[in-house]
Parts: sequence; structure tokens; C-alpha cells
Amino acid sequence: MNLRMSTAPHIKSSDTTSSLMRNVIIALIPCTMASIYFFGLNAIILILVSIASAVLSEFIFEKLSHKKVTINDGSAFLTGLLLALNIPSSAPWWIALIGSAFAIIIVKQLFGGLGGNFINPALGARGMLVVSWASIMTTFTTPTGFAAADAVTSATPLATNSADYTTLLFGNIPGTMGETSKIMILLGLAFLLITRTIKWRIPVVTLASTAFFSFIFGSDPLYAVLAGGIMFGAVFMATDYVTSPMTAAGQYIYSVGIGLLVVIIRVFGNYPEGVTFAIILMNVVTGLIDKYCRERVYGHSKGEKHE
Amino acid sequence: MQYKTFKGGIHPLAREKGGKTASKDVSTKEFISDTVIIPMSMHIGAPSKPCVNKGDYVKVGQVIGEPQGGLGLPVHASVSGTVISIDQKSLLSPGQVTCITIQNDFKDEWVETKPLGSTIEEIDPKEIIPAIKNAGIAGMGGASFPTHIKLSVREGQHCDTIIANGCECETFLTADNRLMIEEPEKVVNGLLIVLKAMNVTRGVIAIESNKPEAIKKIKNAAKSTNIEVVVLKTKYPQGGEKQLIQVITGKEVPTGKLPIDANTIVLNVGTCKAIRDAIFEGRPLIDRITTVTGIVNNPGNLKVRIGTILADMVGECGGYSGEVGKIVSGGGMTGLSCPNEDIPVLKATSGFVIYPTAKSISLAEEPCIRCGRCVEACPLRLDPYLLKNLCDAGKIEEAKLNNIMDCCFCGTCSYVCPSKRWITVSIKNTREIMKKEVKK
Repeated sequence: MNLRMSTAPHIKSSDTTSSLMRNVIIALIPCTMASIYFFGLNAIILILVSIASAVLSEFIFEKLSHKKVTINDGSAFLTGLLLALNIPSSAPWWIALIGSAFAIIIVKQLFGGLGGNFINPALGARGMLVVSWASIMTTFTTPTGFAAADAVTSATPLATNSADYTTLLFGNIPGTMGETSKIMILLGLAFLLITRTIKWRIPVVTLASTAFFSFIFGSDPLYAVLAGGIMFGAVFMATDYVTSPMTAAGQYIYSVGIGLLVVIIRVFGNYPEGVTFAIILMNVVTGLIDKYCRERVYGHSKGEKHE
Repeated sequence: MQYKTFKGGIHPLAREKGGKTASKDVSTKEFISDTVIIPMSMHIGAPSKPCVNKGDYVKVGQVIGEPQGGLGLPVHASVSGTVISIDQKSLLSPGQVTCITIQNDFKDEWVETKPLGSTIEEIDPKEIIPAIKNAGIAGMGGASFPTHIKLSVREGQHCDTIIANGCECETFLTADNRLMIEEPEKVVNGLLIVLKAMNVTRGVIAIESNKPEAIKKIKNAAKSTNIEVVVLKTKYPQGGEKQLIQVITGKEVPTGKLPIDANTIVLNVGTCKAIRDAIFEGRPLIDRITTVTGIVNNPGNLKVRIGTILADMVGECGGYSGEVGKIVSGGGMTGLSCPNEDIPVLKATSGFVIYPTAKSISLAEEPCIRCGRCVEACPLRLDPYLLKNLCDAGKIEEAKLNNIMDCCFCGTCSYVCPSKRWITVSIKNTREIMKKEVKK
């Protein structure tokens, strides 16, 4: 009898890296559908170009650098989809192409590939696009769906403070493609929580902190949460495993930090929206947060130093 | 109802109820085989020295291996019959061990047994611990630490709680569950004997909530005693010594120290039963209940003599019911792979799990995605992902600073890792290297 020898444990949970990525992609389906419904053909083109560019960039980079090709784990696909949902529907197709290639090659692969990057690739790329092509990235149009009517350029409700709550919830508003429909984002969140893909802490605390600091700075907390990209960011971008803290305490600090930074940028910054840079900034300090938020090890006394 | 538990941990194979369903409700069957292979090393400590020769006739309970060194234990014949060989075999751990093979004559002829008494009251507490040593009792939950050493409290140490561990949080295993259902008085009496020997008043029997029948039987058996029966949340590793002590006493075992430094001693329920047999009947540890499950036709528990061979037990359970990929001695989380079917039941063998080819998991690792599941689940609150990286990079000093010595190899981190990283293995290998360096 030819018996396999291996060390314990002999059983493993059914979650795999690719099943987790798949869950996030499934959770993004409602937002993706909404973006196509609201923004029509251009949304489809941008989403397809972005995903294709991300997956191809990963494939080509890994081939050229003689690394194992990992496009099947779904993470490049996810990055492409996330980036597409983070750009305005009026952007030209090459914005998605350049953005995704930058996300994969510069932000992810050059830092060691999956798990090695210190900021979320899609957000890193969005940050780069906002800085490089500011007008394209901050020009939003009113949703027209597939209708032939010309889209009208408009500021987001975050800048104008003009939409009512219901419109904000359903998402018939100008904005980046995935962020507008809050109901669809919440559907995705529900799926992520039910499948235990993510914990509640980061999305809930990030939104609560945004509401709280908005209130402190004198704006309507509910409007602050429903307008702009904070809900999409809190659910899909801030929860990226690689770039968020691991311990509960660390996740609280990180989430509160995002909320605070978002509000500071919204109130004092040049950009109307600050979610991208708020999350990127907290991504950067994640390592530090993890270092100082470690729990006391069993059997050790309090305050004992780790290093 | 909310049961007490520790922070962290996992629910392995939650959908399959920990893999216990197949065997937990089947009554234990006694099985005595033709031959037994009895290793001289079934405990932590120096191997015993054979004191019989090939061709000798031995009776049940006769000492066939004499204890060596401080942690030594005697080894007893588990059947009556003829010694047919004394040779070196390689079993589950690296290296070879001397084994005595006995051909059973099925006469079950016993050596003269000398019980210390038949009730708790009439036993002299001073005689208990030596009798436990003479009965060859080592921890039956898996660690096989000689029980008499565990019970020998040194100057300056003080024990105020003794816990009988009936959690059985490991997957697939149901031997302790059956023991508690079928012989609850023996478990309770074993614990009472230890309490008397140690002059300790607080005795606790801890059982996970997924064993309602065992809980009922043990509660009933302990009714007229002052033993507490505590029901704990079903969660792995609830039965880990450190977790159990924390939950029951609220104290933590200080790093690098033993349970006695938290004024506690933990004994497996099987060990308690063996202690009772040794004291009330003068019987040495020559048999135990062992689970046989997985792809066998009739999964269940067998009461077997120490030294019974795996292949014989599988035969008794109706043979394999599929293509065998892997056989594990112990549960799914911490068990050891068997190289062949000629592995005997040791004092601490709580079960054999037979896995089909398809379920023998792949060895491929993917990169860490920092999902934090290992950090969340580690029952000792370590940072397993970090230790794994340090171990793989050979950074032993840094691993020490990150508390590698506190790891208990429960496997929880490796179980939850979505990237299927072999965290426990890396840590274990590094600990082996560290051990060798200390010896140099």
C-alpha cells in the first residue's frame, strides 16, 4: 500500500485565495450591473478594457520575469474590475488600460506580487490617474444609461450637496462608475459578510467614523456617508487584506483614521473627494499599526516587549 | 446557551461535525488480536529495557520492559502468550525503537494483581503515585508524559485544581466520548483518587458541549462527589492544556513553565480511568479505547490491548471502503502520518483516521495575503504568518523574539490559511533546529 506521508494538520479549511477573490468579484456584480445600467456602453468598454489590461499585464510581467503565472487566482481580474468601477464613465478607454497596467506592474508586481504590495493596487492606480489626468478623472456626467441622449457634465452630489437621500441610495447620480448606487454596494457587503470573506469591523467603523467626523465639522453625517465614494471605499477598497491591519485593535485604528482623513480632505482639501488618498495613507501605515497593535501573547505579562 | 471558552480557535470540519458523526454513537467493541507489537518507548523519557527473551512465556500485566532514567516507565505484556521477536522497528517518529512482539494464546492468563483497595477511603494516599508509576501510566491524550512525574509536586509548587480533560476537541476522535458514556464511574473515581493523592479539593471534569450523552453520564456519576462538571464551548483547541487551564481557572500558564506553575494539573479522562484501574484492580495500563474511522466499512471505537496493529483493527472494522490515500494516527489537526499498516496502538493512540486518496491535500503553498485569519485564530495570540516568514528565512533569533517558543503546534493557523501555507510545519522544523543547537 502506497501511503502518503505528510505533517499535521491533515485537514484544511475550504477557503482558498482564489475562492476569497471570487467572493469579492461576486460581491461586485451588483455594483457592476448598476454601473452598466446607469452609464451604458461606455461602462462596458471601460470595465472590459480594465480587466483585460490587468490580467494581461500580470501574465506578461510574470512570463518575462520567469515567475509562476498567477492569473488564475483571480486577484488581477479583481484589481481590473475595482479600478474600472473607480473611474468616471466619461473617461476614455486608454485611461483604464494605463491604470490597470500601472496597478499590476508598478504597484503590485514590482513590490513582489500578491501579498507584497503596501498599497491597494487599484487605489494606487486611481491615485496616479487623478494626479496625472485630473480633469478626466474628476469630470462626471449624469447617468443616461443606453439612451441616446447626450450626457451632461455635472459635479458630484458631494460637491453640490444637492441630491436627496433616496437618489443617493439608488445611485442615479454623477460619480465614478461603481460608487453611485449605495444599495448595490450594501448588497455586496451583505454577501461578503455572509460568506465570511471579510469581517464587519473595517466597513462599519470606517463609515461610522466618517459620519462622526463629518458631524464634528458641521456637515450632515448621513449625507456624508451616502455621497461620494466613501461607501464603495469602505466596503471594497479599505478591506483589501494585503493592505489592512490584522488585529481587531489595528482595524479600529485604521478605520477611524480613514474616516478622519476623508473628512479632513473633504473639508480642507482641493479635491471634493478624499477617499482614495485617505485609504492610501492608512494603507501605508498598516505595517506600523500591525506592529504596535499586537495582542499580549498567552502566558506573557502585560507590557512585555515583542522586540 | 453560551458556554465558557477562550479567545480565538476554530471549528474544523464544522459542516461534518468535526468528522465525529460516524463513530460517536457506536458502542465500543472489545477486540483482541493474534499478535501485539509492544514498543519500549510509549512515553516521553528514556525507552524501557526489555527484560524478557525471545521464546519466553509471558502473562498479561507482566513487566516486559524495565524503566530507565528519571522519566522512565515500565512496559507490561498486554496479552498472555509467547514472545516471538524482540527487534528494532521504525514507527511514527524518526529513528528506531525496540519492540517486543507477543503471540497471543488467548488464555488471558494474568499475573497476580495487587489492588491498593476497593474504595477511595481505604487507600493510603502515599501509595497512590508509586502505584501509578508501576502501572506504566503515561498521558493518554496524546503527549504521553509519565503521569507520576506530572503528579510529583516539587518544593515551592502548589496544586489547587485538577482537571480531567474530556473535551476531545480533535477532529474525528470519539474514544474519550465513548469512555465517558460507557464507564463514567471509572473516570470519576480516577479523578477522586488523584485528588486524594495530591490532597487537592477542587476537581473538574471538562467536556465540550457537543457530547450531551457523555455530559449526562458524567454528571450523574459525579453527583454524590464534590467534583464539578464544566461544559465548554465546542471549539478547537478547547482541550489544549493551556486553553483549558485558562478557561477553568482564569489563570494562564506562564511562558516556558508547566501547568503546575498555574497551580493546576490536567489529566486526560482516559488517564483517569487507567489510574482507577491501577489502584482499585491493580491492573497496569494494558488496554485502551481507540477510534477507527474514515474510509472503513464500520467506523467505531475498539477497546484494544496496547500493541494491537492497525491492519488488524481495520479488518475488525470491516476493511477499507475506498482507495486509501493516507492513514493518520491521531486526529486531523495534530495526528501523525503512518508509513505502513503495521503501526501498533500505543498508550496515547486515541485513533486512526483513514483518508481517501482524493482528500489527501495538496502540498502547494501560495503567498501570504495578510488576511489575518491565523492571527485571529491563534489560541496563544501569536502572529503565525510572521513566525512562518521568519522561520522560512532562517531568522531564528528574530523568531525567538516573536515568541516561537510559545507555539503549541495545534495547527489552527495552517487550517485557516486560505493560501494553504504550512505554517505549523515551518515553526516545528525551526523548533527542532533550535533543540539540536541547545544540545550542542
